Amino acid sequence: MTDQITYPDVVNFAVPLFIAAILIELAWIVTKKRGGRYETRDALTSLIMGAGNVASGIVLGFVAWGFFMALWAITPLDLGTAWWVVVLCFVLDDLRYYWVHRFGHRIRWVWASHVNHHSSQHYNLTTALRQTWTGTFTFMMVVRAPLILLGFHPAMVLFVGGLNLIYQFWIHTEAIGRMPRWFEWLMNTPSHHRVHHGRNARYLDANYAGVFIIWDRLFGTFVPEQDDEKVDYGLVHNLGTFNPLRVAFHEWLAIFRDMAQPGLTLRQRLAYAVAPPGWSHDGSRQMTPEIKAAHLARHPEDAGTPGFD
Amino acid sequence: MPLSILIPMVVIGIAGIAVLLHLLGLSRPRRFDDEAAARAAWLREFPANPPARVILCHDRSAALIETVQGAGVVWPMGADSTARPLAGARIAPAAGGIIIHLPDFTAPRIRLRLDADEARQWLSKLEQTA
Ligand SMILES: [Zn+2]
Ligand SMILES: [Zn+2]
Repeated sequence: MTDQITYPDVVNFAVPLFIAAILIELAWIVTKKRGGRYETRDALTSLIMGAGNVASGIVLGFVAWGFFMALWAITPLDLGTAWWVVVLCFVLDDLRYYWVHRFGHRIRWVWASHVNHHSSQHYNLTTALRQTWTGTFTFMMVVRAPLILLGFHPAMVLFVGGLNLIYQFWIHTEAIGRMPRWFEWLMNTPSHHRVHHGRNARYLDANYAGVFIIWDRLFGTFVPEQDDEKVDYGLVHNLGTFNPLRVAFHEWLAIFRDMAQPGLTLRQRLAYAVAPPGWSHDGSRQMTPEIKAAHLARHPEDAGTPGFD
Repeated sequence: MPLSILIPMVVIGIAGIAVLLHLLGLSRPRRFDDEAAARAAWLREFPANPPARVILCHDRSAALIETVQGAGVVWPMGADSTARPLAGARIAPAAGGIIIHLPDFTAPRIRLRLDADEARQWLSKLEQTA
């Protein structure tokens, strides 16, 4: 019976909303001459990445769905479809999102998929749509397994996951400064997520939240946006191409090239895939702690301030 | 949502936004105000390798960077910029400038607009390093 429950495919239905919101943000920026920046090729790449993400979901969605339905077949638990179950599922799925996103920045294999979301030097509503094409290959669907085994129906899990993504759309803007204090304390906001997109040493590997920022406060990864340090958007090493295929696959290729180098031990080859981005067998590259340390060597006055403690 | 609605909506939406941005004049590439701006753009990518010399090209669209670790280039990425060292680069003259081919999947081709004198100067500089 509950195998047949269906929820609307929310992300697809939100497409007209996305387009309308982008036009409104753009009109705001153009008329007010503040609140963000748009550039044609950057926006076009972001939008094509978004369309490709939806397409890859249509083509490869069966992999995760098959996995979830297999789990659903073996679990004896069924929490049903009461409204409070959906709410609970949304909150727990947001905790799931926090960890998947944290892995996405700390495990290079998962970063290879997520990196493209951070590859724009802009931060506007189109940036929100710059989503991965290769999420299926990260195997991060396993992090959803506990939810399904606990008795949340796979269709409900995907539904709340879609709502989570839609929530994150509106926070990709510079047009909104700060929300009311209670909101900034509880929820992920434009201010918190700007920090997450920062390539400043101070802002690296912070604010992984999807909807509720409290996970970052809880797990020690929260860094507040500093009024005296503007966020510099993009990657530590910014791309030199707008080609969506290169944006989508460059880090995968880099992993395979690194792993295939001659003269490495098996352990080193594996580390190129699973160690944090920036790991190298000869220490020739920098990971986040080294980048932060190098910044502090140049700017000792920043020691002990947010992001450097 | 049926694909017969989703696909046209996505295609028209993307194309419409791109055309609109272009008509609003938002396709203009970055220009470096001066050598200091080009230097800052390089340091933004390579804070540990400061330029010893910055050669800004005449239309201020790119700069050749000389460092103790070798030459590099900064150039516009849309309204922003990026930078790469030139180790392993293959440089060829092209109509209105030069093309740099890098062994880098994320920056395979850099097309620089240079006048004839500059193109010669850059080519000779780059032949020494690459
Ligand atoms: Zn991220
Ligand atoms: Zn984001």
